[in-house]
Amino acid sequence: MIAEFYVPGASFLHQWDARAKLLFLPLVLAAFFVPSTPLVLLLLTATIAAVIAIALGPSQLVPPLKTLWPVLVLITVLTPPFHPEGAALLRIGGVTLLTHGGLTTTLTLLARFLGITYGFFAVVRAMSLDDLVLGLRWFGLPYGACLVVTITLRTIPALALTWHAVRDAHRLRAGGSARGRPPIVKTYVPVLTSVMIEAVKGIPVLAMALESRGFGRRNPRTSFSGLKAGSRLFVDAMGLAAAAAALLWPLVVRW
Amino acid sequence: MIEEKPAVSPAFRVASIAILAAVTTVLTRVVQVPLPARGYINLGDVAIVFTAITLGPFSGAISGGLGTALADLLSGPYAFWAPISLVVHGLQGLLVGLLSRVRPGNLGLQVVGGIVGMAVMAGGYFLAGIFIEGAGPSLTEVPGNLIQGGVGVVLGILVAAAVLRAYPPLRQWKW
Repeated sequence: MIAEFYVPGASFLHQWDARAKLLFLPLVLAAFFVPSTPLVLLLLTATIAAVIAIALGPSQLVPPLKTLWPVLVLITVLTPPFHPEGAALLRIGGVTLLTHGGLTTTLTLLARFLGITYGFFAVVRAMSLDDLVLGLRWFGLPYGACLVVTITLRTIPALALTWHAVRDAHRLRAGGSARGRPPIVKTYVPVLTSVMIEAVKGIPVLAMALESRGFGRRNPRTSFSGLKAGSRLFVDAMGLAAAAAALLWPLVVRW
Repeated sequence: MIEEKPAVSPAFRVASIAILAAVTTVLTRVVQVPLPARGYINLGDVAIVFTAITLGPFSGAISGGLGTALADLLSGPYAFWAPISLVVHGLQGLLVGLLSRVRPGNLGLQVVGGIVGMAVMAGGYFLAGIFIEGAGPSLTEVPGNLIQGGVGVVLGILVAAAVLRAYPPLRQWKW
């Protein structure tokens, strides 16, 4: 599993500042939700697609289509029945299949869905996740939140490997690949339990590492680990004082 | 020696949220469970329910929302669902955690919390989908989301109980 979708490059899209790219995302959303005609929205979608084709290559237009074509088909088929307003454009056997209102709404939704998909796709393809976090930090996201995102991204590949290793170990223990579809609970609960235990065991270690690097330091400083005070401390202190006196006594005598 | 309430430490909270968000992302993106009929579901909801029950509502909300949002960002074509996932799954984790916290360890409340969270998740995606892809296509995704949420509730509760039994320090980490 790849840890990010970013593809390095030197296109104008890559060189565009990460902060500007982050501002571009809400603008894309707003642009596709402002009341407008389908033609304008389709032109906007075509413009974004052209930017992807020029900056990243025409082949980059295909992956979103390959993934989302079922949704596009659903939008095309299911939207007209929900929007029967306007003049009838297509009638078969006395049944109105498509009206002007249905066509307008279908084209609007198709343009919106595809345009927003391409807009976000262009940004995540041309921006590394490190730049994303730095950009969010610049916009005021607290340091702690940025640290959480960074640590999460760094931890994902290792956890993915853990999942595969644990799943394979359980499969071997079960005697190889089962025929047919194994029951979900019996198959996945042991694997999930093992993976979750491995994951939560890392929490205290990571917390101590963060504290040792000064994270969370403020007056007064908190501490993940602490020592219990009490009678043991008094005894230890007295023992230490006695040992110091015994070691330093010759110096005191000589002086 | 570890303090009685390690979860008050900011470093501990950052570590717990980050690791469990990573678990959520992995279970959402990497794991595909074939359904008896057809198609696949992911196990991201298992991680959300697990986190909400074991570490509390705030951990469940933040790591659940962040984990699924990152999974969407890493997918590429689904990147625009990231802000929606952040809110919807965050709410799911929050509700599961809040209801489970009323009486810790009570299986009935965990199930109720899981069902409420699942309904909010499916409803949230449906409402968001109305604006992006229309009511019809958005409605067709509701059964899949409910099945995925249901599997997440069942497996999440079972895994939480198993992990709490196998790793007792986890009981001290709620916040």
